[in-house]
Amino acid sequence: MPPMFDDTSPVSRKQITEAYLKALRLIDERVTPLLGKITTRVLVQAAARHVMDDHPFLYFFVNMPYTEIDPAIIHEQFSGITTQELSAGLDALLDACFAGLTELTGNIIAPPLHSEVIYHLQQAQQQ
Amino acid sequence: MQSQYSVTEDLYRMESTYPCLLEQQPGIVNTMDGIESRLPIISNELEVLNKIGKRFLSAIDRFHVHRALMTTLQEMYSFSACCILLKDNPHQLFIIPCQPLSASFIEDMIGRIASAAKVLGFPTAKAEQLAQAAYFDAPDEVAQFRTQEAIKSTEIGSCLSIPLTIDNRIIGILSLFDELVGTFDSNLLKLTTLIADYAAVALENVRLREREHALWRQAERERQRLELIIRSMTESLFITDEYGAIISMNQAARHLLSQLANDLPTNIPLQQLADTHNVKWLYDVARSVNEALSGETVTGREIIIGNEQVPLTLSLSVAPLDDASGPTTHLLGAVVVLNDITATKQVERLKDEFVSVVSHELRTPLTNIKGYTQHLIRRLERRIRKHHEGQPQQQATQVDLPESVDLRSLQIVQSQTDHLERLVNDLLDRSRVQWGQLTLEYQSFYLADVLAKCISSVQASAEQHLLSLEIQVSDTQIVADKSRIEQVVGNLLDNAVKYSPQGGHVTVRLQEQQNMYLVSVIDQGIGVSPEQYQHIFERFYRVSNAATRQYSGVGLGLYVAKAIVTKHGGKIWLSENKGIGGTIFYFTLPCATGPKNAGLPQK
Repeated sequence: MPPMFDDTSPVSRKQITEAYLKALRLIDERVTPLLGKITTRVLVQAAARHVMDDHPFLYFFVNMPYTEIDPAIIHEQFSGITTQELSAGLDALLDACFAGLTELTGNIIAPPLHSEVIYHLQQAQQQ
Repeated sequence: MQSQYSVTEDLYRMESTYPCLLEQQPGIVNTMDGIESRLPIISNELEVLNKIGKRFLSAIDRFHVHRALMTTLQEMYSFSACCILLKDNPHQLFIIPCQPLSASFIEDMIGRIASAAKVLGFPTAKAEQLAQAAYFDAPDEVAQFRTQEAIKSTEIGSCLSIPLTIDNRIIGILSLFDELVGTFDSNLLKLTTLIADYAAVALENVRLREREHALWRQAERERQRLELIIRSMTESLFITDEYGAIISMNQAARHLLSQLANDLPTNIPLQQLADTHNVKWLYDVARSVNEALSGETVTGREIIIGNEQVPLTLSLSVAPLDDASGPTTHLLGAVVVLNDITATKQVERLKDEFVSVVSHELRTPLTNIKGYTQHLIRRLERRIRKHHEGQPQQQATQVDLPESVDLRSLQIVQSQTDHLERLVNDLLDRSRVQWGQLTLEYQSFYLADVLAKCISSVQASAEQHLLSLEIQVSDTQIVADKSRIEQVVGNLLDNAVKYSPQGGHVTVRLQEQQNMYLVSVIDQGIGVSPEQYQHIFERFYRVSNAATRQYSGVGLGLYVAKAIVTKHGGKIWLSENKGIGGTIFYFTLPCATGPKNAGLPQK
């Protein structure tokens, strides 16, 4: 999907990060009852490994589940990244997560959840 | 794709089996109100869960788990194949088909499992490796084979991969495949995840059980190996409990103990046995075992059994047996090793006798050499004195007579003869010391005179060295064995000169400390490393390093010196000559040394 936060979006890095973290938490919330609570964390780790070559600033998601990383550290890690890069990187991460989810469960979870996540990100952009 | 909330034919079958486990089933949960009406449902739910749980808990190996899994899943819906990928090293893949599968179906399945493994972060789970490692388990009794007519396709239509998790840790993946499109939906997914949790626990239990068995087999192999080693040992080995009672022994120990005591019972503390039997060797063994039980290790203690000419001699080593598996060590008992060294001792005795005989044979010509040398020295001294008496004093000191050169040569011969005599005496004394036959002949003399005489003798053949005597006491009278004290001082001086190849000062100092004479022999030689201090007084011990290889000697001088000093009631030790380098040997002798102190009758 195209980055939700493009050049025209007058939003900060922090807002972008929080919007995507919220999206990941939403995925976690929906996936946990179906595949167990560890799955989303592992999915995010594997997705980060997948997109790390193009977006190296996401490396710290590889070594640790995103739920265990202090948000302040995440913001600090992203401090030197432009909002465009950040948005593109987190978007790629989200895409990789959905690709993984589709790989595991086909179209059972991914399509409706993807729509829900898009909706939330759009809401976040408008706020 | 099938709608998330649509109910398939299979789901209807599942609904009748597990109605309460499904969410939002109209007419089942929502239409029933009140606790009473809910109780049968809860009861039914528990019954179902209990049935599933029992199936998995009773699985004793992974194939039982596969059967439990297949039975439970097939009660809910039908599918083509079920696969389990375990995240071991290497990964293990089990394929459990419900119908004949085509090669392309299997290949596609493995590819999808590899993709799922990648998504879940499994390291190096490649399709080729998984294909090689794949194991087909076909529990026919639980498979609900579809007829050939019922099989719609040879391609994968639906696929579901669910992580197998234990304590927030993914241990594997459960993958289900069907040739029909849309077989699985979110309700089935939820139920299958529940079943997967049971399967994960059961598989982990199997893994732990297998590990336990492997460890047990390894421990058993180690035990058997150890038993074999102990059994084939020629040394006698037995183990006692914490009270000192023998609890097990090897064949050699059984044989030895049966020779020593016919009716020696086990399981009674050795101390108690010793008291009952009143046998000396048993006391010795019990004492050593008690030492080990108090935490000490006994090494190479000799036990002599019998009064024969060649008594049975055993070398005894005992070590505490600690259980260090817990947080604190716990004493379990002691390990006793008895080694029959009678033959070695006999050879040693024969060797001693031989050395003794040779030494005696050497002593006779040596005495003659020494006597005639002394005679010649005196004659030359008289001749030189006479010659000097006939000359004016100034002239006499300037003229170097040929006799003076001869005298010097003879003094060297005499000094070397003294050295040789000390070596021969050391050889003779070695066996005396060893067998406790070293006797002392006490007499009163001045220690300072003995020290001066020894210095003079050694100085004669040590031109590069300057030997000096420092007397720091007013009275040096002592009652001791004069010739033995000469032997001690001579040995120490010989060493001081020998191990100072560059020459230098050798100082002999006599002091008095706490009613003891303290003699120090201080050299500036190559020194002795501290780790050799404890061995240097041992029999035949020679300081071994590159610097000492060039020096001759048999390693008996200090052994004999220690025995002589100890017999006099003194002590001998050494230290580093700090600052200058070299060594300081000290020995003490009681000022009132004499027969009374030595336990001999007063002269």
